[in-house]
Amino acid sequence: MNDSAQPLNRVASDRSFLAVLWVLGGSYLFIIAAMMLADLVFLNYRDQPILGPELLEQGRYSEDAEGFIVSLEPGRTYHFRKGGNETGLRLGDTLIEKDGLFTANIDDVLILPREKGKAVTASLRPEVRIVSISMKDDVATLKTDLPHGLLWGEFIRISSTGDDGWAGVHEIKDTSQEGLSFQVTEEAVLTKAIKLSKPNPLIQALRSRDIQFSIKLSLISCTITTLLSLWVAVPIGYLMSRYEFRGKPFIDVLLDIPVVLPPLVVGLSLLILFRYVPDWLSDMVVYKWPAVVLAQFMVACAFAVRTMRVTFEQIPQRYEQVALTLGCNRQQAFWRVILPQARGGVLAAGTLAWARSLGEFGPILVFAGATRQKTEVLPTSAYLELQAGRTEGMLAVSLIMIATAAVVFIVARTLGMKRIFS
Amino acid sequence: MIAVEQLLIRQGDFELKDIGLELADGEYGVLMGRSGCGKTTVLEAICGLRGVQSGRVLLGGQDVTNLPPADRGIGYVPQDGALFPRMKVWEQLAFSMLVRKLPQADIEARVRELADNLGIKHLLERFPHGLSGGETQRVALGRALSIKPRFLCMDEPLSALDEDILEEICELFTKTLKKENVTALHITHSKTEASRLGDVVFHLDGGVLNKV
Repeated sequence: MNDSAQPLNRVASDRSFLAVLWVLGGSYLFIIAAMMLADLVFLNYRDQPILGPELLEQGRYSEDAEGFIVSLEPGRTYHFRKGGNETGLRLGDTLIEKDGLFTANIDDVLILPREKGKAVTASLRPEVRIVSISMKDDVATLKTDLPHGLLWGEFIRISSTGDDGWAGVHEIKDTSQEGLSFQVTEEAVLTKAIKLSKPNPLIQALRSRDIQFSIKLSLISCTITTLLSLWVAVPIGYLMSRYEFRGKPFIDVLLDIPVVLPPLVVGLSLLILFRYVPDWLSDMVVYKWPAVVLAQFMVACAFAVRTMRVTFEQIPQRYEQVALTLGCNRQQAFWRVILPQARGGVLAAGTLAWARSLGEFGPILVFAGATRQKTEVLPTSAYLELQAGRTEGMLAVSLIMIATAAVVFIVARTLGMKRIFS
Repeated sequence: MIAVEQLLIRQGDFELKDIGLELADGEYGVLMGRSGCGKTTVLEAICGLRGVQSGRVLLGGQDVTNLPPADRGIGYVPQDGALFPRMKVWEQLAFSMLVRKLPQADIEARVRELADNLGIKHLLERFPHGLSGGETQRVALGRALSIKPRFLCMDEPLSALDEDILEEICELFTKTLKKENVTALHITHSKTEASRLGDVVFHLDGGVLNKV
């Protein structure tokens, strides 16, 4: 064939079409990746210094002055954090533009505003010093020269000490304004060289007994919920995909209710429902851990049912028919032929149910409450951290959830792969 | 003997009325007709996969109209084979014997015999995914014949095959069915297949079944 025989109508390039697909799809993927990245980057993973009270007063920069003068104690270490309206601070001749610790060598500092006449948003706090260390029955008590703001149950890290039994993260057992106590090991002897810091929020969260409990409860309740969901979703999915019966459209609508209903309403409806059950049952469930499982189950199961139904619908009836002629009854055909083919779907439904329950919050809050060490699951922990004003703590709990979900997904995927290829 | 008497099958608007056919023992019957005319429906009724409104299905003189498929002693080769995706070829061949809990030794012997006869010995350890059309049909036939049924229903088993292996598979089918002494009913829309295989040819058109 020569060149002239080529068709005149040449098809336009697919490039622009593909580009649009990539842009539309890519923007979503980008947001997902950026979100995850922001979570990871936002947390300050380094230990934080223990800081005293805020030195900067709220107010505005005056129009005529160059900045805002704060008196310091020479030789003391301070922590500076720039706000949105500061370029930095000037300490004598040196200009400090970065956040962090610095040591004062003169007795005042000038905070430099970006715009005059606007609010002060920076923070300047002295690092607390330890004035005395005492020990009694393996409990060490530190006195500080300034209020440290640490609370009972928080964690501190002791470092730079040559003596045994001190270094490491300790839970604060007792606090006063300028004092705190914690347990040390038996072999500890009184020490002088000690450096105190606040471990990063991730360690704080993982060390906290409340959050340890909530991790445990989350893992256990999600697993129970998943097993229950599959237990129910497989038969319902199979029935709905294989049989025609009166009232099927009605059941179809019923099955969708938990998907469409706001989760909070599911929790409230459960709570109302349990006013009508015998007392012993309601006492056993409401505001106890079974309520957590039930609240998760009501929502997660609906998703598992949908997945299983689609899975079974995609398996042609032909296979069952062949199995029937080969000597199976319906039950044998299901177990020997249909279920093995639905394995991927079962795994998908299970993972979906697990992930849904891990994130379930509203219905649990309403139906099980948010009692520490009792009905606290990871989303509840995140919520409680937020309520206590600890964004970092909330983020730490979120990271734990992300990591847990990631592990489960990877395990499920590898299991799925193995089963398909074995 | 496969016999169908005055069968009435109704499904929505679709109706097959007064369907009757008879095949003597060892005969190879071919059922022809346009797509959508109800050939598969008749076959499914014979196998017990579809309920009938009235009429009777007789296999070997016994009325099986109300028996479940498993108790009819009839093999079924569906369109495109429908091999079980998660089972190796030998598992497919052994399936009905495993369901019936036959002794291990008998199962192995029968699988070997079938694999020899159908020339699929080298495929026993493979999964159906990736088998060629001809190989799939041979396995599907072997699976249907594994418990030595006296009757066999095949739904367009050869329609997906290439011309050049069609001849070979046809020969294999007739030979194997003779050897197993099976009365077979075969659906096709190909005249070549019908004349090549059929001792008796039936034609289904407009809900009426005629012997040609």
